[in-house]
Amino acid sequence: MPKKLLMGNAAFAHAALAAGVRVVAGYPGTPSSELVETVAALHASGAAQDVHVEWSTNEKAALELLAGASMAGARCLFTCKQVGLNVASDPLMSLNYVGIKGGLVLFVADDPGPISSQTEQDTRRFASFAKVPVLDPSSPEEGFEMMGYAFELSERHGTPVIIRPTTRINHASAFFDVPDSYQARALPPEGFQRDSKWIIFPRRAYQAHGEINERLPRMAQEFSETPFNPCERTGDGAVRGIVAGGVSTAYVRDALSSMELPAYRFLHVGTPYPFPTAAVRDFLNGLDEVIVFEELDHVLEDELLKLAGAQHLDVRVHGKLDGTTLARGENSTEDCRARLASFFGVEDAAAAAAAAGEGGTAVEPPVRPPVLCAGCPHRGSFYAVKKALHKQPAVLCGDIGCYTLGNAKPLDAIDTCLCMGAGLTMAQGFHVAEPGRKCVAFIGDSTFFASGLTGVANAVYNQHDVTFVVLDNSTTAMTGSQPHPGTGATLMGGQSAPLDIEAVLSALGVGLVVKANAFDVDEAVSAAATAIDFAGPSAVIFTGPCIQLVRPDASVTVDEQACTGCSACIKALGCPAMSMTSVQGDPDEAQDAAPDEQVRNVARVMRVDASLCTGCRLCTSTCPFGAIKKGGAPCSTCS
Amino acid sequence: MLNVLIAGVGGQGSVLASRILAQAALAKGWHVRTAETIGMAQRGGSVLGHVRMGNDGEQVHAPLVSRGTADCIIALEPGEGLRALEYLSATGLMVVPTTGIPSIMTNLAGSEYDVAAILQELRRRAANVAVIDAQSIVEQVGNPKVLNVAMLAAAVHLSNVRGCGLRGCITLSELEEALAASVKPRFLELNKQACAAAVASCDS
Repeated sequence: MPKKLLMGNAAFAHAALAAGVRVVAGYPGTPSSELVETVAALHASGAAQDVHVEWSTNEKAALELLAGASMAGARCLFTCKQVGLNVASDPLMSLNYVGIKGGLVLFVADDPGPISSQTEQDTRRFASFAKVPVLDPSSPEEGFEMMGYAFELSERHGTPVIIRPTTRINHASAFFDVPDSYQARALPPEGFQRDSKWIIFPRRAYQAHGEINERLPRMAQEFSETPFNPCERTGDGAVRGIVAGGVSTAYVRDALSSMELPAYRFLHVGTPYPFPTAAVRDFLNGLDEVIVFEELDHVLEDELLKLAGAQHLDVRVHGKLDGTTLARGENSTEDCRARLASFFGVEDAAAAAAAAGEGGTAVEPPVRPPVLCAGCPHRGSFYAVKKALHKQPAVLCGDIGCYTLGNAKPLDAIDTCLCMGAGLTMAQGFHVAEPGRKCVAFIGDSTFFASGLTGVANAVYNQHDVTFVVLDNSTTAMTGSQPHPGTGATLMGGQSAPLDIEAVLSALGVGLVVKANAFDVDEAVSAAATAIDFAGPSAVIFTGPCIQLVRPDASVTVDEQACTGCSACIKALGCPAMSMTSVQGDPDEAQDAAPDEQVRNVARVMRVDASLCTGCRLCTSTCPFGAIKKGGAPCSTCS
Repeated sequence: MLNVLIAGVGGQGSVLASRILAQAALAKGWHVRTAETIGMAQRGGSVLGHVRMGNDGEQVHAPLVSRGTADCIIALEPGEGLRALEYLSATGLMVVPTTGIPSIMTNLAGSEYDVAAILQELRRRAANVAVIDAQSIVEQVGNPKVLNVAMLAAAVHLSNVRGCGLRGCITLSELEEALAASVKPRFLELNKQACAAAVASCDS
């Protein structure tokens, strides 16, 4: 069996399949999405037998579906990113009271930094809030081991179990030995059995709360005996200790390998809740001071302080609370090393070693934020809405997805972004507070189905004069092109009838629903204007496929004799395939074109990078001189 | 320990480049870890791929390269090479292509992307900089998408010639074997051509 280079998320998928998982459901969100995609790919190739895998409409739908499958006895895996658990929190809180039958594991990816998220919330906190155990892997390999354990733990104690890796675990790759095929564990012969415990009533909840309170200390004791809280002891008579959780454990390990330190103990806590008190108490025995490295919240630090207080231990705990470690963002090997050096009172020798690039910065690299791709249909949609609004006072509510990038200049078409689906309802709030403004809300097609429908119903019910702009690019683009109810494609390989956004909006009672091609400027502006002028809830659906899904057309060409270098095109659209280039600066070009340019006195022209341009032709309408023209045959290497 | 960074713009293939290196490391029996930038930043933003290889039998713990410790930075774009420079060790090798990708921000500011100034800054601040004429390599092969593999081959070759960077730990033929294990068979020949063109360009 050759070793395979697997991204953390793919490794977690293999581990779940090895544990006999039968039903896998989630909603895409960076950094969690590749787990479900890996299961789907293995299912499609026949390597994952009797597995059901799906992208559910949203996280709440996914967890509720899994609650049912688990009660029938199937081993179930839920996946989402940290903010996705907010959406699924309603079923999770109650499910812990109701209980499960087949093992139910929630794979919730946290995102310190944050790198691709709205918040730096800590799912370990969510676990303790929900009174659900949580495992916190320090590497993809440890996560792989934890997955199988999590299913057993779940069934042994009748509880959902959370595994919460962070981005640097999800998206780190390492080599794994994995089997060629998997077989889902069979359902128990009796399947679902009726029982009053499956129905949550206040009386049952009171009883269940007692059961939860009893099982948590049992799990804490069990955690103390697992290999997931290893303690390393270096030298004798240690009075200082290091505690780390998650990927910080790896940073600390690397830092320690390059340091000469007096005797110390190093504890990695892989099971933060319920806190493995016995193991930690043993670690603390005889220590005077402890430093805690963890990302996001001070969860381990709080537990250590609690333990020290409850047991009257004479130990000082340093971490985020007293400013000894970073209060937010990601940790790193170099940061851990510097803080360890200070904690132990030694010199940070590695920091003294001169890095390259000393000697001052004369030239800065270009600022390069993420942008809408060349050929992205959203560019045309934003451009059209801005043109249609012209100078009318307006507020433009954005939402979660690639189209949040519509906030960037020059489109500058988004004023707010809160959470999935919020734009539709926030626009209604703006309308209530400031009726004089046009209130427009953008929402992507996947987000529309995930959490837009209730907002639409609210606008119709309460008669808010807002305009919904649905950006229908036929995919969930930002997270890597996942299908959704509007596409009809399913991960099981079947094709259901796509839900028609136009019909849904009409059925919900939106008074005016218009549709336009996002790449056709005239049609798009006219549709936007009609919807915005309509009194009452209205909607415009802009269609145009995500450029990641379709074969590009031939690049546009620029007639450099006609281009005056005014850069109106760039200022209108900000397409990454366009740039201003000095005509004189290019010796090859200067020879051919110099005489004309001297006459016209044009120093620079707009040039299009043919390898990036997809031939969407949106820019052709922005040139006052007609210098941008439709290209010829499609590029042979790209097609 | 060999620490390598691949610095580029979303869409340039930095993830594939790091996987090819990891594959080469595995074939040599080294422990290896990579970390990639995935998500919002991929949309034409700066991306940084980390590859850490335990070439002396070490275990690799952290997935990320520390600042000042990269043995080699493979830049797929000059500005991104400059942005990653703080990661390069004092003796590290930076390979960088001549071709730049303009940023929207530069365009909107009405200025022009000055690649020559970026390359000059890299040469001023780093001891070992190799500027690769990527444009001619890509034109020779006839496909702009092979830039990532061409730069990888240049880094391997120059490391072996100069004795820095990857310190001669990976040979070109080992790289080609890793390539064969990492890219789709129909693209293998194209990528091998890119390797050959990159090596020829380094030697010319």
